[in-house]
Amino acid sequence: MTALLRTRAGRDVAVVLVAVFGVGSLAMLLARVSPVVGFGALFDGAFGTPEEIAETLVQTTNLLFPALGIAIAFRAGLFNIGAEGQLMLGGFAAGWLGAQFPLPGYLAIPMVLLGGAVAGGAWGAIPGFLRAKLGANEVISTLMLNFVATLLTTYLVTGPLAQTGGGSQETGTLPKAAQIPDMLADSRLTYAFVLALALAAVLWWVLKRTVFGYELRAAGEAPEAARRAGIDLGRTAFVAMTLSGAIAGLGGATIVAGVLHRFNTGLSPGYGFIAIAVALVGNLDPLWIVLAALGFGMLQSGGVAMQAEAGVPREVVSLVTGLVIIALAGRRAIVSRRTA
Amino acid sequence: MLAVDGVDLELLPGEIHALVGENGAGKSTLAAIAYGAIRPDEGGIDASGTVGLVHQHFKLIERLRVWENVLLNREPRRGWRIDVAAARARVRALSERYGLAVDPDAPVETLPIGIKQRVELLRELDREPSVLLLDEPTAALAPSEIASFFETVTELARRGTAILVVTHKLAEVIAYSQRVTVMRHGRVVARSVTAETSAGAIARAMVGGELPALAARVDVAPRPLLEARGVSARSGTSVLREASFAVRAGEIVGVAGIEGNGQTALADVIAGIVPFEGELRFGDAALGAGDAPAARLARGIRVIPQDRRREALVLDWSVRDNVALGRQRTLPLAKFDPAAREVIERFDVRPPNPDAIAGMLSGGNQQKIVVGRMLADAPGLIVAYQPTRGIDIGAAALVQSRLIEARNAGAGVLLISFELDEIFACADRVLVISGGRFVGAFERANVDRGTIGALMAGHAA
Repeated sequence: MTALLRTRAGRDVAVVLVAVFGVGSLAMLLARVSPVVGFGALFDGAFGTPEEIAETLVQTTNLLFPALGIAIAFRAGLFNIGAEGQLMLGGFAAGWLGAQFPLPGYLAIPMVLLGGAVAGGAWGAIPGFLRAKLGANEVISTLMLNFVATLLTTYLVTGPLAQTGGGSQETGTLPKAAQIPDMLADSRLTYAFVLALALAAVLWWVLKRTVFGYELRAAGEAPEAARRAGIDLGRTAFVAMTLSGAIAGLGGATIVAGVLHRFNTGLSPGYGFIAIAVALVGNLDPLWIVLAALGFGMLQSGGVAMQAEAGVPREVVSLVTGLVIIALAGRRAIVSRRTA
Repeated sequence: MLAVDGVDLELLPGEIHALVGENGAGKSTLAAIAYGAIRPDEGGIDASGTVGLVHQHFKLIERLRVWENVLLNREPRRGWRIDVAAARARVRALSERYGLAVDPDAPVETLPIGIKQRVELLRELDREPSVLLLDEPTAALAPSEIASFFETVTELARRGTAILVVTHKLAEVIAYSQRVTVMRHGRVVARSVTAETSAGAIARAMVGGELPALAARVDVAPRPLLEARGVSARSGTSVLREASFAVRAGEIVGVAGIEGNGQTALADVIAGIVPFEGELRFGDAALGAGDAPAARLARGIRVIPQDRRREALVLDWSVRDNVALGRQRTLPLAKFDPAAREVIERFDVRPPNPDAIAGMLSGGNQQKIVVGRMLADAPGLIVAYQPTRGIDIGAAALVQSRLIEARNAGAGVLLISFELDEIFACADRVLVISGGRFVGAFERANVDRGTIGALMAGHAA
């Protein structure tokens, strides 16, 4: 099953390019803007100055964590579309813990990141448990838990765990010690970017070179053969979903500790959903996902400039992202029906 | 690659023509070309009248009724509605005319395999084909059903239909066909009048030489290994009822039966796929009724599953990674490659490349990988469920020989097979399974096929 999501990488690149440039151009023409001008503004906004490159890498980082989490679940044959909720929970845990417990730097940052990973992991563990014990479809449960996550964090941050007054949808500000240091002055780029790259490398190694990775891939590719080879499918599903959620939660924590320095319910412009496209375009391979995240990070950061400079609505980026998901997932659905 | 290369074949009205060859010889491709489902790159087909094809794997819609399946897309209509009464009458008339009794209103999913075959045949007969192609028509039939099936086919031929039977069962070729064409590697290698040839000559033409001999068996002092007392279990639709049997170390116990008589439940119980009631002892200790497959693997039990592509292989993985499957906890990563090379060497896997993708190999080579890895670490008990299904004679002989060698080395083997030939070639003892129950147990040397065949079909011996 997983194989169907990972076939013919070359053609996928073609699909993505058509979606981005073909449909993107069409949308720009509808907005009465020349595609040359529109895409020019997009690239210029993403790479024009060192600060803009830094912002592109910030967006890359924010997409990379949830995309890596999604890839782990997808490789295990589990369609985790709950990265958005897992990221929210992780962000909230990081913000609340960071503001609540002022610790020295060498403890504060690990606490904030670990707290985010644990919260996101717990949020991923719920559908993992439901799948393992009851056979519940994880597509439904993860999707639903996104809404629960948004409402729950909003409730917690304004209600029982409020740290700022007046019904504010934010936690308190993280002390300097809990903030991830900047990589580049006058930018929002932090060492979270390096952490994301390192995580991609570690996950590549885990998938490729460890017994755990071997069993996870077997369970995803050929569940019946994996089961007969002594692999506990329920346990694998639970562990994979928990790990997947933990990675997305860690991503939420880095946004809070690196970029915003507080949790805010508007933390994510849909990173957890865009990351599905990133993971698919990256062929569910952690190293290729880094490249895919860079591409989508560029769209995210350049989109703002495109709107400001060329008058193309930012929504064109969302449109293109959505098309990439539909094109890749849809084509695979067709392939799977033909081969079924 | 060409599946069929420059083949000439002539069918005459009123004859039953057998087309034989190993898996992959091009028989089914040729039948599909004749039917019109595949367009040939060169050459063509001349047929007077229509051509009908009955598939090896039934192409029936399980959820629909018999008449709906038989008349699919040719339903009699009254205005924009289907004329159900006329449809029923037409199917009933058809079934009387050809002596193929079916209930037009029965849902297909409730029918036994033999009846489904009749439905499949009726569907083609409704179009009154002048040429009828039958692709492995008896694969799922009991011996008695096979005889009555061929009575029908012979009757059809007598009425002037030209019939092509694609098969690998030489006994049926000899018994029922008038002419036989043998294919190998996409070419015709022999044409004979059936009465003037023999099963041996046809088999030699199929493999292109002498048949490979099986490994010799040596006497092993048998000691108790697996003992089942009143074991009942269910796996999907397969049911095993109060099975009591024993497998000793150093013997091959054949389980003879027609497909769908509890064999899957039997294999799955031992593999730890489904729970069971009753008592199952292995060596000195009981097997837990709720054990997972990992527990059985750890006890040295290996089950070669029936469906290698789905139940035994990760098709997109390399041969190397597939050889490690099931041993991933004990075999260090660095040993994957030597382990794969060992299996490739011992089982003559082609291509001899550990990086080859398992799904791209032929069925025979896929099965060699599966059997190779199951036998790799001297298992105590091997359950082989249809271990040679759909693979060529050379690969089948190799697999069977390795199983015999494992037995010689002191392993116990439970060989579950739908092919009596295989059981008689390999087993030391024969158990017969019918309706989920063991209905007979024999030393192979003291029993004949007729006795086993009658028990398989559910008749008392």
